[in-house]
Amino acid sequence: MMSTKDPVVFEVEWNACIKCGACVAVCPQEAGFTSSFDTIAVNKACDIACMFCQTVCPVNAITHQTLLSTETTIF
Amino acid sequence: MPNSSSIGTMTVFDIVVIGSGPAGTTTARYAAEKGLSVLMVDKKQELGAPIQCSGAVSFNALDNAGVFPSPEFIQEAIYGFAIYNGQGQKKVIDYRKIKPGEYGSEAGAKPLGFVVDRRRFDRYLATQAERAGVTIWLKTEALGYRVLDDGSCEVALKKFNDTITVKAKVVVGADGVQSQVGKWAGIKTHIKLSELASCLQFVVDGVQTEGLLEIVTGHEWAPGGYAWIFPKGHGYAEIGLGVTRTMCTDNAQAYLDKFLKQSFFKERFKNCRILEIQGGGVPLAAPLKIQHADNLILVGDAARHVNSITGGGIHTALSSGKIAGNFLAALLLSGEPCTKENLKGYHDNWLNAMGNNMWKLYEVKRKIFDTADIAQRDEQLYATMSNYFSVDSEYKKI
Repeated sequence: MMSTKDPVVFEVEWNACIKCGACVAVCPQEAGFTSSFDTIAVNKACDIACMFCQTVCPVNAITHQTLLSTETTIF
Repeated sequence: MPNSSSIGTMTVFDIVVIGSGPAGTTTARYAAEKGLSVLMVDKKQELGAPIQCSGAVSFNALDNAGVFPSPEFIQEAIYGFAIYNGQGQKKVIDYRKIKPGEYGSEAGAKPLGFVVDRRRFDRYLATQAERAGVTIWLKTEALGYRVLDDGSCEVALKKFNDTITVKAKVVVGADGVQSQVGKWAGIKTHIKLSELASCLQFVVDGVQTEGLLEIVTGHEWAPGGYAWIFPKGHGYAEIGLGVTRTMCTDNAQAYLDKFLKQSFFKERFKNCRILEIQGGGVPLAAPLKIQHADNLILVGDAARHVNSITGGGIHTALSSGKIAGNFLAALLLSGEPCTKENLKGYHDNWLNAMGNNMWKLYEVKRKIFDTADIAQRDEQLYATMSNYFSVDSEYKKI
């Protein structure tokens, strides 16, 4: 069963994004967890998975994919 | 004019300001006017864009920060307010009627405030800073900073494709609501989900306005915030709203759509044509308890210098920029190092001049939003907003 503690990778629908900065403003990650387009990072896993960025987006531009936790990942 | 100097190949400034909005440009300008060398960088290629703001600012806010209300950036003059409750009952506070002769469009009278074009406003402020001697680099992203043993610091920048290191005595984080600069120094700058207003607005044609900022309260239309109709000049208007996402069942876009189509203004909005779409995150939050570190301070939205009742941030950015610029000039000209201990003076000055008042406004806001009963909360917000903008407001004393 997937837990919210499993890391996630965010995806931003660039056409919907209005560059408001709200996703980064509520993000508790360290400095630099951002994309080149002033959104939360899209090219790396987020291990906090609080989903605040996805929730605060005024236009629902953010979605995510849940990764399997490292324990269950088969390399 | 103060200029940068060089040690070997390293460029040296007194101050590096990161972010070119109202807080950054004002800090930079006041510091440069006192004779300091200032570099202001911004990763963007255009000033003031993308617009994340409705652009309302008072006459006094501009005046206090030495900004002439120029036609270059003014879109429309404002003379008062109309505050609505969720059912459409309103309180009109029109200073043209309350203080005729003092406020108005006739000769000898003045506006109460303005709605400004943030693209032109920010460019105007940057020009003022540049004319005071500030060096401005756009397309320059700040990557990090490092405190050096000699009491100064170095800032890593990426200017177009080149990575550059600049030496400075102090870094000013004016990088807005999505600030990263404070995090460099370990300051927790992220805003609670329950304290960030998620805002969306349309610039529209076909909606009449009367020189008033119209504010619509009520949980039905904008939970944990309010909706607005602001005049935008040339017959345009802004219709928008901010919501606190933890008090909502849907996102800001859904609420704005509902406000346009279902509110008591649906007839008024019938011929509305959407011209532009803008959004922003507005901290309706406590100001940061720590706004400084070794060789670093934060100003404006980055330090949550926002009025948490109105969501207004231009006035507070200009004021805190002036405080920061003047403080840094005095500190640096005294020859004292920019240690965390010495930079606390900036925070103290800010608290005395405006910060303590902002904390009181935040307590008022929190009390309203913590009220569980929706009808009671709506009533309190309507009463507080009406009071806030009235001529004999108790909040003017705060």
